[in-house]
Amino acid sequence: MNYLDILEAEAIYIFREVAGQFKRPVLLFSGGKDSTVLIHLALKAFYPAPLPFPVMHIDTGHNFPEALRFRNALVEKINAQLIVRKVEDTIREKNLPDPQGKFPSRNALQSYTLMDAIREFGFDACIGGGRRDEEKARAKERIFSFRDPSGAWQPHNQRPELWDLYNGRIREGENVRAFPISNWTELDIWQYIKREHIALPSIYFAHKRDCIVFQGRWVAVSEYVTPDINDEVVNTTVRYRTVGDMTCTAAIESQAQTVDDIIAEIEASPISERGATRIDDQISDAAMEDRKLKGYF
Amino acid sequence: MDILRFTTAGSVDDGKSTLTGRLLYDTGNIKSDILETISGDEGLNLAHVTDGLRAEREQKITIDVAYKYFSTSHRKFIITDAPGHFEYTRNLVTGASNVDVMIILIDAQNGITAQTRRHSMVASFLKLGKVVVAINKMDLSDYSQDVYERIKEEYLQIAAKLDLHNITFIPISALQGDNVITLSPKTPWYIGPALLELLETYKPPMHQYAGLRLCLQYRIDDNTFAGKILSGTLHSGDKILIHPSGQAATIGNIIHNYDNVEVAHAGDNISITLQEGIILKRGDIISHARDIPLTSDSFDADLCWMDSSSALDLQKTYILRINTAETECIVSDLKFKVDIDTLEKYSDKEPLTANQFARVGISMQKALAWDHTATLPENGRGILVDPVTNNTVGAFVILQA
Repeated sequence: MNYLDILEAEAIYIFREVAGQFKRPVLLFSGGKDSTVLIHLALKAFYPAPLPFPVMHIDTGHNFPEALRFRNALVEKINAQLIVRKVEDTIREKNLPDPQGKFPSRNALQSYTLMDAIREFGFDACIGGGRRDEEKARAKERIFSFRDPSGAWQPHNQRPELWDLYNGRIREGENVRAFPISNWTELDIWQYIKREHIALPSIYFAHKRDCIVFQGRWVAVSEYVTPDINDEVVNTTVRYRTVGDMTCTAAIESQAQTVDDIIAEIEASPISERGATRIDDQISDAAMEDRKLKGYF
Repeated sequence: MDILRFTTAGSVDDGKSTLTGRLLYDTGNIKSDILETISGDEGLNLAHVTDGLRAEREQKITIDVAYKYFSTSHRKFIITDAPGHFEYTRNLVTGASNVDVMIILIDAQNGITAQTRRHSMVASFLKLGKVVVAINKMDLSDYSQDVYERIKEEYLQIAAKLDLHNITFIPISALQGDNVITLSPKTPWYIGPALLELLETYKPPMHQYAGLRLCLQYRIDDNTFAGKILSGTLHSGDKILIHPSGQAATIGNIIHNYDNVEVAHAGDNISITLQEGIILKRGDIISHARDIPLTSDSFDADLCWMDSSSALDLQKTYILRINTAETECIVSDLKFKVDIDTLEKYSDKEPLTANQFARVGISMQKALAWDHTATLPENGRGILVDPVTNNTVGAFVILQA
């Protein structure tokens, strides 16, 4: 079997295990490339029936408008139920401090909104596009990742997970995060996008944008990121290698217009995916682990 | 291009994480920003590549499995970097359960240790198709052929006890890179492949069994059922049997991806309809009438206990799972344990605790359909789940009814 067929088969099997073992799963969808591939795989897994679960976006309010438009269009096209829960509402209801500063990241606050939504809808499984090759804490996580009622990951006490026997048994209030594309690399994702002709938001491809430089990375000027007096605003050709919040995702200089261009670019790139694009992970060596301990995706 | 999954067993002291780091680094699979985070005062710490948890970096040990990905022009690789310490054996079992090859690292200066035997025991328990014994730190033993040969002889005695067959020995230095990517001039006496060459060319035995086994996962709609073909070939219109009930039926449509297909093969995730409109359920196994699985409500198995918070309780009801089939069971008989240091069988009054192996008898509340491990390993193994904590507490490989 070709490696893309192997990875696809593994993902479809996992999707069907989630549907077979849980009463109320949900697929987490942001409009990014990984969760878009997830949707594509889910459609295959359950064809000819529609998706047997809704899709949910935990909306930080700091999105790229292109990603939101893409999200809405795809959900409409596949006729899925879209649930949107906003971090802004959580901040107001819980009276939390809204992160301030030049790059106000609501990334960590998403965990509160996610856990509230899990309780509101009684979701027992959240299907996410996390990949082990993205980040070293993710590299440690099981495919069915058990979370206690607070959503916390217990990295030192993970359930054994043998062969393709995924144990989805939980008690009321607990939940499982399921990661069907755990074993895919960034390059696998793009090779699959190419093979399956999967459409993506335009910001993954080279375009002109007003940017400022922060810690050696290009950050787009937007309604959430205002340049200082010392910043030089440069209109340059960039693309996004990952799509997160406008406040914590950096663009990379790129001329890649097509999926083939992007594949060639990634193969030649000396920098890892998150290293090139994430401002939020530069804070500490354990930033992702810490977020997961608090219920993060 | 296909994928090979392998694990490295051994402790940090044996150079396990250094070897993983070496494979990634020498094949150009560590990006420069990651390289920065593993560079310290004493140069490159290749071991740091795989220790993803804060506690692991602090304690300088591997606690749980980490997965790393790299590719060469020949193949894509998934490295399962598994812990070596005794108390984390269960995590090694988790990590090694999905690999094609286990690399067992032996420190040439220390020779075979209890740990070597334990890791070999895991390979034997999981019936892994290939073991590579990498005799490491050859640079500290003057690349001595005698040291290598002595360890090899000793290991072959262990392998015989454990019924391990397909073994390759390679003298390496993970730190210096000898015989890892390319053959080293420092071991002219070694005739054989470098480690990477072996990993690039090894062909895992796949889908050897020709009999059809379709394992059902989920009911997609009224008449359509999703499942995975474990072995064999399925044609539209085939007369089949549904196990464990034994009911006969005829295949209607086979759906693979978005297409109706005439035929589907081992490894395919498909959906089917039955002409008779019979309702299938999760856990059913479908076969042809000419080669059916075994069906029984009890069997003997080798069991690895994996729960650190409770011991095996012979009075207690557990949930047993093989593929997608589940039933309640009791472990009715503890025949003997295996001492993982000496590999000898023994019996005592103590219960089976975490990281221990035993031969047991299991009695199930209802019959399930299974196969001998030698025939079809995918349908000859399973897990035990504690119905109260819901933890996966044991893993077993079936021996006989």
